[in-house]
This record gives sequence, structure tokens and C-alpha cells, in this order.
Amino acid sequence: MQLIRVRSLSYTYPGAEVPALSDVSLELAEGEYLAIVGANGSGKSTLVRCLNGLIAPPAGAVSVAGADPSEPAGRAVARRALSIVFQSPPDQIVASVVEEDVAFGLENLGVPRPEMRDRVAAALRDVGLESERSRSPRFLSAGQQQRLAVAGAIAMRPRAVAFDEATSMIDPVGREDVLRLMDGLVAAGIAVIHVTHDMDEAARAARVLALSEGRVVYDGTPAGLFASGEASRYRLGLPRSYQAAIEFGLEPVIGEGAAGLGRRIAEAGAGTGDGTGAGTGAGTGAGTGAGTGAGTGAGTGAAGRFADSSAARQATAVGSSRGSAFSLRGATMRYLAGTESERLAVDSATLELPSGAITALIGRTGSGKSSLLQLLDALALPDSGVVVSLGSPTAEPGTDLRAVRMRAPLAVQRPETAMFELYAGDEVAFGPRNQGLSGKALVERCRAAMDEAGLPYAEYRDRLSRTLSGGRKRRLAIASVLALDPEALLLDEPTSALDPASRGEVMRLIRSYADSGRTVVMSTHSMDEAALADMVAVMRDGAVAAFGPPGLVFGDGWDPSWGVERPFAYELREASR
Amino acid sequence: MKGLEFWKHVSIGRYVESDSMVHRMSPSTKYLWLLAVLLPASVSRSAVVVAAVTLLPLVLAPLAKVRIRFLLRGILPVLPFVALAAAVQLLIAWPNDGSLVLAAIGPVSVTAREAVAVLTMGLRFVAIMTAIGLFTSVTSEGDTARGVEDLFAPLAAVGFPARPLALMIAVAFRFIPIVAGEFESVVKAQAARGADFGAGARGPIRKAKAYLPLLVPVTIRALERAEALAEAMEARCYGTGPATRYVDTAGGAADVLARIVALLWTIAALAGPAVAAAIGGGR
Repeated sequence: MQLIRVRSLSYTYPGAEVPALSDVSLELAEGEYLAIVGANGSGKSTLVRCLNGLIAPPAGAVSVAGADPSEPAGRAVARRALSIVFQSPPDQIVASVVEEDVAFGLENLGVPRPEMRDRVAAALRDVGLESERSRSPRFLSAGQQQRLAVAGAIAMRPRAVAFDEATSMIDPVGREDVLRLMDGLVAAGIAVIHVTHDMDEAARAARVLALSEGRVVYDGTPAGLFASGEASRYRLGLPRSYQAAIEFGLEPVIGEGAAGLGRRIAEAGAGTGDGTGAGTGAGTGAGTGAGTGAGTGAGTGAAGRFADSSAARQATAVGSSRGSAFSLRGATMRYLAGTESERLAVDSATLELPSGAITALIGRTGSGKSSLLQLLDALALPDSGVVVSLGSPTAEPGTDLRAVRMRAPLAVQRPETAMFELYAGDEVAFGPRNQGLSGKALVERCRAAMDEAGLPYAEYRDRLSRTLSGGRKRRLAIASVLALDPEALLLDEPTSALDPASRGEVMRLIRSYADSGRTVVMSTHSMDEAALADMVAVMRDGAVAAFGPPGLVFGDGWDPSWGVERPFAYELREASR
Repeated sequence: MKGLEFWKHVSIGRYVESDSMVHRMSPSTKYLWLLAVLLPASVSRSAVVVAAVTLLPLVLAPLAKVRIRFLLRGILPVLPFVALAAAVQLLIAWPNDGSLVLAAIGPVSVTAREAVAVLTMGLRFVAIMTAIGLFTSVTSEGDTARGVEDLFAPLAAVGFPARPLALMIAVAFRFIPIVAGEFESVVKAQAARGADFGAGARGPIRKAKAYLPLLVPVTIRALERAEALAEAMEARCYGTGPATRYVDTAGGAADVLARIVALLWTIAALAGPAVAAAIGGGR
């Protein structure tokens, strides 16, 4: 039976010149599993918001459960039928206690209290949060918070649940949990609409709708999308296993995991990835430029590339006379020290981070990655132990912290949210001005930084920072730390919440910076990106659980108890042995 | 941790979960007892009444398993103001003050009437601060909001938005840590680019100059997050019809009794001195 019908929907935001949606048509049956894909700004979120009237669509264009969300009565019906789980986990929590938050929607529907209790308990059980029911949501991990949002949605007994990039801000393990919950909903006959940038996730759905510049450019099975070549045309990329199968000359299979593909590779005798992989590594790198996702580039080529080159690269990185850029010796840091909510953020960490190399920090949400980066930048000082940042011990009295910070600046998570200048050029100039630069020298510094970040100075200096696209905003934020002409870059999740094409651009920018002999320390939730680094440090509960080149950390040194996933290339190599 | 940390200075309520007969009271009962102290302490002219309500939080604290020392520590922030006000009271002589002079240093003398006035003023502050301290340590964020809804429930019949008001309070609580977090993130982003934070900024003008650029991004981010939360609330059918409530705050017989006692106490404290004077005058 038909649940959602969209007919020739067009929508332009007030004040905008270009429509966000143009002539979109779509039908969704009860119990269907649909993925909506498309680059940042292609209209995915706008479409979802039109379905339940968060954005009022033109009258008659949308029908959800027989009601028209363009008017208030229809909106109420549509919102009962279609729940939405949003992107940012903390921004959809209303109450200060877990179970009360699940009940929020039911309260609004006027459900009587005894029934409410049963439905809240059942929803918490379904998402595995019963034991947290009387806690404050503030103390849940991002992944748990997102499961809480799902509980709040299913307690309302909707006929469909839309996930609006709901997996993009949580760690891989939390992501798996949410994806499993989606499968459970589909199995229970509830339709799922999954808005995502990740083609591996999209391939799980029975049907994919691709949007580009507000238009539907594909509506059909995932297999059809990936086989047609449309995927690369719209900069969508391919699922990792799909891409790898093509590179190994095998028939790609939708939804196949590394294990399945690895078996097929072993059977076909296509080699264990050493020779073949080395070839494809370069091939994929070129492919990324043509529009394939960074995830794919990192995922597939890496196995071969690192099998033969990581040892050599490590030798130059670690064994060189340049020594270490940062060193931590028993560094410990606490939040809220001396209060009741004291929390150990970094637990006697000892690390030597090599100069002129990229070090990736990985670990679950809350494992201490951001805190460690702040220690390196002297934004935080250790409570005990020593942190040496580019030769300066940060905790020593007399150390010029401002100078230390500007030599190794940190780009915080989603750095574009901290931008404050109206124009892109002024934003970039903030740092060098603080260094005392002015006039020609300042212009030259800004020009170099913006050019390096792929935002040509001449074209972008007078653009309004806030009107840039997501990927460009991120690169502008990176340009504004590059403008300090730093010796090292500290990047906290530099690719988070970007579409695959923008992720690729940011990763290439980081690599070219490091190739000029400077140091990068970055945290990431993408293990495929971590596999491209020179060194990998694994954090667990604030402590350094492992440190070494990716070939070692993800290879023989691999430990599943870290709570991170393994890069696709390594899983594949393991499975094809 | 040392360096840039803001969380520590943000008090998000001092509620400590515990099981006591005071904790178990319904939020509206707690509000009524809070008013039973606040009203007389701020408006009563009788030193005896002010002294009596000052004792009330200290008597209730052991029942709530809250340490009295913890409550008294809450007075510290207002002490300088109390001291200043007391000094002014003592320095300026009252007209027609014929009461006993207790002590005199040069032209400044302390009369009995002045002493009682200063003491009463001090007690008012102690009563107000300890009562609020006790209330916040036995009332959770959610109950603080629900109590407002319950108190105004009778007015809801005539269209008073009791529930939206309660939700507003709850959301305000949610936003304290959110805004603090955004502030911290923006400060760190700018400090990383050489802005003068926590690196020994000298002079108030330089400090103010460093903090000024924060206003724009923090305000924009707070608005963006408020919008995201508003969307999430709307998507969950907020405002579509008459709402029910998950948490039951009606309270039992003990609650009803406690509310009656609180009301009687308030009436007695406010009207008592006048009644006593009338009786005294009538004799």
C-alpha cells in the first residue's frame, strides 16, 4: 500500500535564487527501505523536511498517509506517520532524563500515562537502553544518544522513520548499531528512508533515490545505480566492496562484505592484494579526482599500497634524524578536577609523534582523541606528566603558550562553526594578523594559504564565508590555520560530516601538506582514512592502546577490543588469505 | 586540567540524587516550602519572623540529607554585598533614634535599633540563599520545570500557558551546557590562531578585545542549535494537540499535608505580627 506520494515538488527557500528542489516525484510503499543519496546541498534534507511539514511544501505536492503536510491538520497526521531521526545526536534531546525524552512525543500525542509507560519501556528495550532509563542523556555516548532518538521515534509507532544523515556524526560501532536498528524496523514492516553520503550504507537499502542540484537523477535499485556509471557522474562514489571487486576483475555484488569478496578473491586466485593492490592504489587515486569518493580511494588501494610501501615510509618517518615533533611522557589530564563530575580524559599517555609524517588518532567517541590534540596544542595543559610541543614543554612556567599554539595550530571539530569574519579573506587573515603581519606580507601569506587549500585567493577573498558550501567552508577553516605558516597541523576530525568528494579533497590537502616535510596529527572515525596515514595511535579510555604504522596496527597488531572497525582493505586482505 | 576550561565555572544546578522524605515530595510542594521562606524573609518587618524563617532551611536540611555546611557555603558569594549594606546602615544615623547606644567610635555610634536592623538584614540573606540552595539540591531539572507547571495548573483553565512555560524552563536548562560548550569550542578555535586567551592576556581592554569576536559565532551557533532542537520537537508532534504527562507529580497524602502546612506557615509568618499587634493594642 502506498504511504508517501510526492508529485512534481519544487521548493525554493525564501530569499534564495536557486530552487532547493525541482520537480521531484517519488512514491514510497509501506515497509519499503529507501536510501536517498546526493552531494552536500543537493536537497536531501529539504525533501525529508517537506514530507512532514517542517518545511511547508506547496499544496497538493506531497501526501503522507493520505494527508497533505502543507496545512496544519495534514501536518499532524504526517508527523504521526513519519518520524525523523536527525543528524546531530545532542540536538534532538529535549528532556533531562532518558525515559522522559522517549516519552516526549507520546506526551504530545496525548497518550494516557499507563500506556505511555509500556511503550517507553518497549522502545528502550528495542534499542538496548533499558539500563540507562533514569540517567541524564548528557552522559550517553553519541551513538547511544542516536539510539535514544530512535527509541523516541519508534515509541510513537510511526509507519515510516526517516534518518537524516543520522549516522554521520557517530563512531563506527555506534553506526553499526543504528544500521541494525534500521534493518529491524524494515523487518517489522516500518518503512525506512535513509539519507546518507555513504554508498556502503546506501547499498543496504532495497531502493536508492539520487538527488543532484535538487533534481531526482536516479530512482531504482542500488545495483542499477552503481552499474550505470551515474554514481561517478554525480560524485557519489561506489560501495567499497563494489569498487574493490571491479579492481580485482571480479563481478561486483551489491551488499557483499569484505569477508565474502575476500573469499571470492582467494577462490579466483587473483592474488592476495600485494601486486594487484599496488596497481589499483594509483588507479584509485586518479579515480578520486574524477569524482570517486575518498572512502573508496582509501579503502581499496590501500591494501596493496601499504603492503609494500608502509614499511619504507615508516622508516623515513620514524627513523629519520628529524626526530619527533611532539612527545608525551606520562601525560594525564582531567576535566572538572576537584568536582564531583571529575573525569579522566587522558591517562598517562606516552607517545613520540614523528616529525614530517601524518599520525592518525583513532578510537571510540570519548576515548580521549580531542583531549590529546588539545594537549599537543597547549590549549590544555597536563595535570601531571610532560607534553613537549615542537620543542617547548607546555606546562613549564615561562613557556609562551601563544607562540606554541601558533606554531602547531589546532583546527577544532567542525572548525567552520567557529568562523566569525564576514569575508573569507578576513577570516584567513585573523591568524597572521595576530602574528604581527600586515600589508604586503599579510596578503602574500593569505594568498599562499588559500591557494594551498584549493580556494584561490583572487576568487574567494571577497566571498561571504557563510555562503560557501560545506566542503569549501571546511577548506576555508583549514586555510585559516595554514595562514599561520605553521610547522605542524593538528586536525580534529577534519573530514567529518562531509560528502565523499569533499572528504577526498580534504585528505589530498593534508597529504600534500605533509609531503612538504611538515607534521600532521589528525583524529578520524574513518579507518580507511587512518590507513592512509604514516602512523596510527589507538586511544582507549584515555590511554594509548597501540601506536605504530598502519600496516602493523591494522595487521598483526590488530585487537578487536579497541572498539573500532578495521579498514576495508585490511579486512579484505585478511579474508582473501 | 589546566589551560582553557569553562565547564567548571558553569553551575548546572546542584541537584544530588538521593532518597529522603524531602526528595520524595512532589515539586509543587517543594516550591510552596521555598515560598514559605522567601516571602516572609523578603517582606516581613518583624525580626522574630525573619529569625524563624532563617531556621527553617537549617531544620529541613538534615531531613533532606543535605549538609548544613554545604548550604551555608552558598552564602559566600553575597557576603561582600551584605557587608557593604551593613556598613552603610551603621554609618548613617537614623533620625529620632532614641534607643540605647551600644558602642560609639568617634562620631559613629551603634544603637540597639541599628544592630537589630543590620542583624535582620543579614538573616534575610542567609534565609534566601540557604532556602534556594536546599531547593536546588533536592529538585531535579525536570522537577524544577514540572513544579512550575503544577503551580500554575489552576490558571491553565483560563488560558495561562503553564505547560509551555515549564517546557521553556526545561529547554533553558538544556541550553546552559550547550552554550558553554559552543563558547569553549570557539575560544579554542581562536586561541589556536593566536587570540589572547589563557595565555596571560594583559589589561582589561586587551581582554575585552579578545572576547569581542566571540559574540558573533557563539550567538549564531546557539541560534542554529536552538533551531535544530525546535525542529526535532516539532517533528515529534509538539503542539499538535492536548498533551499528557509521563511523570506523575500529583503526590500522596503526605504531600497534601505538607502543602497545607507550608501555606499555614506562610500565612502565619506574614499575618502573625499584625495579629499580635492588634491583640496587644486591643488589650
